[in-house]
Amino acid sequence: MRDHVEEIEEEAGELNLVPYMDIVTNIIIFLLASMINQVSLANINVSVPSISGGGASAEDNPPPDKPPLNLTVSVGASGFTVAASGGVLPIVTKLPNGQYDYKSLTTKLKEIKSAPDNATETKANFSADANIPYDVVVATLDAMRITDEGKILFPDISFAAGIL
Amino acid sequence: MPGHAESPQVISRLEGKKAIRSYARKLDEPEVIKDLNITPMMDMMTIILVFLLKSFASSTSNLTFDSNLSPPKSTTLLKPKLAVSVVVTKKVILVEGDAIAPINVGKVDPTVKRDGENGYYITPLVEILEKHAKREKKVADLTGQKFEAQLMIVADQTTPYRLLTEVIYSCGQAGYANYRLLVLKAKGD
Repeated sequence: MRDHVEEIEEEAGELNLVPYMDIVTNIIIFLLASMINQVSLANINVSVPSISGGGASAEDNPPPDKPPLNLTVSVGASGFTVAASGGVLPIVTKLPNGQYDYKSLTTKLKEIKSAPDNATETKANFSADANIPYDVVVATLDAMRITDEGKILFPDISFAAGIL
Repeated sequence: MPGHAESPQVISRLEGKKAIRSYARKLDEPEVIKDLNITPMMDMMTIILVFLLKSFASSTSNLTFDSNLSPPKSTTLLKPKLAVSVVVTKKVILVEGDAIAPINVGKVDPTVKRDGENGYYITPLVEILEKHAKREKKVADLTGQKFEAQLMIVADQTTPYRLLTEVIYSCGQAGYANYRLLVLKAKGD
C-alpha cells in the first residue's frame, strides 16, 4: 500500500526530462557539426574615385601641402606595373612558374612607403587587365595592404575607373 | 552427538553471525542508481544550446558556397559587416539573394546591359540597387545617421576583372561608393 502511494507521488511530482534531453542533445550536435563546416569570412574595403566631391570633400580634406603620391598598381598579363606622380617604375615580372610575384611587389611598395614624403600616405589606386581573375585581384590587394612583418603600406585602395 | 546437541545460546550466536555477515555483504554491494538526477545536466545543455543558437544567429553569412561561388582567400583581418549583398557567381548576379542578371562564361548577358556588349551599365542591377539605396537613405534620415553607401560584394574567385568592374560601375550608378569585398580568411590566421 505504501509503495503504491509512493509510486503515485513520484509519477505526479517529477517531470520526465529524458525526451527533452534527447532533443537538446540532438540540436547541440547538429549545431556543433554546422559550426565546424562554417567558413571564417573577412572583408577588404575598397572604394571608387568620387567625381562629385563638392563642398563636403573640400571640408573633409584641407588643401594638401605636398603633391599627392597618386600611387597606381596595375596588373597586366606580364606582371605588375607600379606608377606614381614621379613616374613609372620597371615592371614587376611574373615568376618563372607563371605566378605573379607578390613578394617583389610588396618590397617595392615598402621602398616607396619608406620615403619620408610618403610615410603618411595610405591611398593607392588599383587597375587590372580585363581578364585578370578575382583571386589575383584580391592577392594583389593583400600585397599592397601590409607587409609580411605587419607594416601597413597602402590600405585605402580605390578601384581605378578604367580598365587596362 | 555433540554437534546435534547445540544449546539455544550457540544457535542464536550463529544466527547473529550469519545476520552480521549478510549485512556486511549488503554493504559491500555497490548501490544501484535507480534515478539519476539529470536536472544540472539539463541546465548546462540549455545554456550551451542558447549560446550556440546566439552565435549562429549573429554570423552574417547566409551564403552557400559551392562550385559556382567560391570566394578567394585573403590575409585581411577585417570582420565582415552587414550590408546589402551583391553576389557574383559563375552563372548569375544576385542582390540580397534575388537573381538579377545571367552570366555566360564570365560575361553578363548583353541584353540586360544598357549599352550593349561593351557597356558597363547593367540595367536591372542599377534599378534594384537604387531601390535599396533609397530605402537605406530613408532609414538613415529617420534615424539621424549618415548614409554610408556601403555594399558587400561576394564574387567567385574566377570572376574576370572586367565583370567586377561592370558590377562596381553599376553599383556606383545606384549611389554606392564603398565596397566590402567578402573573402575567406586564409588558413593560419
